[in-house]
Amino acid sequence: MGLLIHRRVIWLFAVLIGTQAQAADWELALDLRAVSSDGRKSFLDDGQGKLRFDEDHQGIQLGRLRAAWNQPLGEVFSAHVEASSWDDDDKNPIDLTEAYLEYRPYPRAGVRSRLRLGAFYPPMSLESRAVGWETPYTITPSAISSWIGEEIRTLGLEGQVDWLGTRLGHSFDLQLTAAVFGWNDPAGTMLGAHGFAFHDRQTTLFGRVGAPQTYPEFATKELFHEIDDRPGYYVGAQARYLDRAVLNLLHYDNRADPTIELPSIRDFAWLTKFDAAALRVETGNGWTVLLQALDGSTYIAPGGNWLDWDFNSQSALLAKRVGAHMLAVRYDAFEVLFQDNPAEAGSEDGHAWALAYSFDRGKQWRFALEWLRVESDVASRVALLGEPAFARESKLEFSARYLLSGSF
Amino acid sequence: MSLSLPTSVFQWVHATSVLALLTWSGLAQGGSLTVAAKQHNGKPLSGAVVTVEAETPALPPAPPAHATMDQVNLTFVPDVLVVPVHSTVQFPNSDVISHQVYSFSSARRFQLPLYRGKPYPPVTFDEPGLVTLGCNIHDNMLAYIVVTKAPFFGRTDAKGEWSAANVPAGRYRLRLWHPLLNEPLEVERLIEAGAGQDLVEIRLSRGLRPAPLTGRPHSWDY
Repeated sequence: MGLLIHRRVIWLFAVLIGTQAQAADWELALDLRAVSSDGRKSFLDDGQGKLRFDEDHQGIQLGRLRAAWNQPLGEVFSAHVEASSWDDDDKNPIDLTEAYLEYRPYPRAGVRSRLRLGAFYPPMSLESRAVGWETPYTITPSAISSWIGEEIRTLGLEGQVDWLGTRLGHSFDLQLTAAVFGWNDPAGTMLGAHGFAFHDRQTTLFGRVGAPQTYPEFATKELFHEIDDRPGYYVGAQARYLDRAVLNLLHYDNRADPTIELPSIRDFAWLTKFDAAALRVETGNGWTVLLQALDGSTYIAPGGNWLDWDFNSQSALLAKRVGAHMLAVRYDAFEVLFQDNPAEAGSEDGHAWALAYSFDRGKQWRFALEWLRVESDVASRVALLGEPAFARESKLEFSARYLLSGSF
Repeated sequence: MSLSLPTSVFQWVHATSVLALLTWSGLAQGGSLTVAAKQHNGKPLSGAVVTVEAETPALPPAPPAHATMDQVNLTFVPDVLVVPVHSTVQFPNSDVISHQVYSFSSARRFQLPLYRGKPYPPVTFDEPGLVTLGCNIHDNMLAYIVVTKAPFFGRTDAKGEWSAANVPAGRYRLRLWHPLLNEPLEVERLIEAGAGQDLVEIRLSRGLRPAPLTGRPHSWDY
């Protein structure tokens, strides 16, 4: 994102906060990890490994240092800022993952509208429902949510309309969403570079993924740039049955012009389109079933030659909560197909199992233990690294998170 | 007591019922009414709102009350409030964080601005009806205020029972409502009561909706 935009956003926030000083809510969270991993060299470290913490990054690690700020601006406006540090080779030691203004008027006659302006996640993950866009079920989110956190952010304007049926005596609520956005033209480049991965690291707005040096074509992995001056859009719908079941649908198209390159980041505008569906069902005795599916394509066209990556992933999670304890098991399948040829570097096929136990102690502490195994056939391992295409990577990870919150 | 000749059948019936009351019960206050509510599966229906409005003879609503609907740990407390018309309800906020309470129900539309801690003037409810409360910041928060012009009202206990004493003899419109009631959203009966110890048994024709989930961390669905 351009420096000018950056300054304007900060100026806008400063003016709004300065003129409308009201009590703000803040959160500060430190998440430390103890990791045992046999992961291949991580995608964050120029490798083709699927895990955030590979065999060279074991022991005590910083999971996330997170600060959040929620500032009411008058009656129906508010500003939200999320900042994180991941303790890796990012450009900035601490950076923003989300920053937006929200307009949320009171509902009228059972209908509520909402506007968000700034940088935020599109409403598609029923898994990343905890503060900071984290999953409460496991430490590592699904392949789908990992990818969204890595490459996708709305930098634009989103509108939502809710029909609050449950407030009118019915059992259902309905929601429609539409957004226009820019500055997400490189979305898709990571799928092209390393395919899907399993990690909780969310790419920051002014940061990058890893610090790759070896391959000039992937020299810079910055996701939030406008390359072709063409806005993208998404539309979505959500249906809720009481507080028990949610069905979410989203169609995304960044409408990028794949023939255009941005030399400063040595990347193209990746034309990325996908459909995402998610269903979450919760029962009164603590069971949760969460199904997710993603299906899309991304293209670049250097010199007019169209290159095509088709991608898809499916995820099924079953969790049981007993009081403050939760046990979750998840299966993920994922595939990237480059030029319709599974043997081409850029194609991959894999699946993963995760098993996690978590325990919330009061509002401050959360402890979690997770075992994750990813098995994948990645054609680039042969072509770029001279390694076997197949890898089985396992990780055992313990997380202790302390969350402080308060108001000014 | 001086008896005049009845001028209409209605008055005659009325007079005889008063006479019967005086003769049989020996007390002028009337009889008792008990409502026993059961779910579709035969289990007691607790927490149901019962209102008993007089058809004949007409009776005035119960006197207005001063009630409180608090917000504790991102939950409205109580979940259901029943108040007579013209009652006032205070909305304190016992949470550290802010809430924005609203209602778009036709019986009473209101919005309480973003606030925490500081007292806010109570809201007066002048129209009978169901008022659904929400919080514009926390979508999971849901509560109800039933505003009634009935002289007798209350909620069923753990056994699914509710009783009223001193019910004058007459015809009454009994309504039963529960937040988890499936459509139709209300059960209505016309009853004769007040002549003695009346028991009205109600069994729902359909199962209840699932109760709201509890115990999920507040850091979810932020």
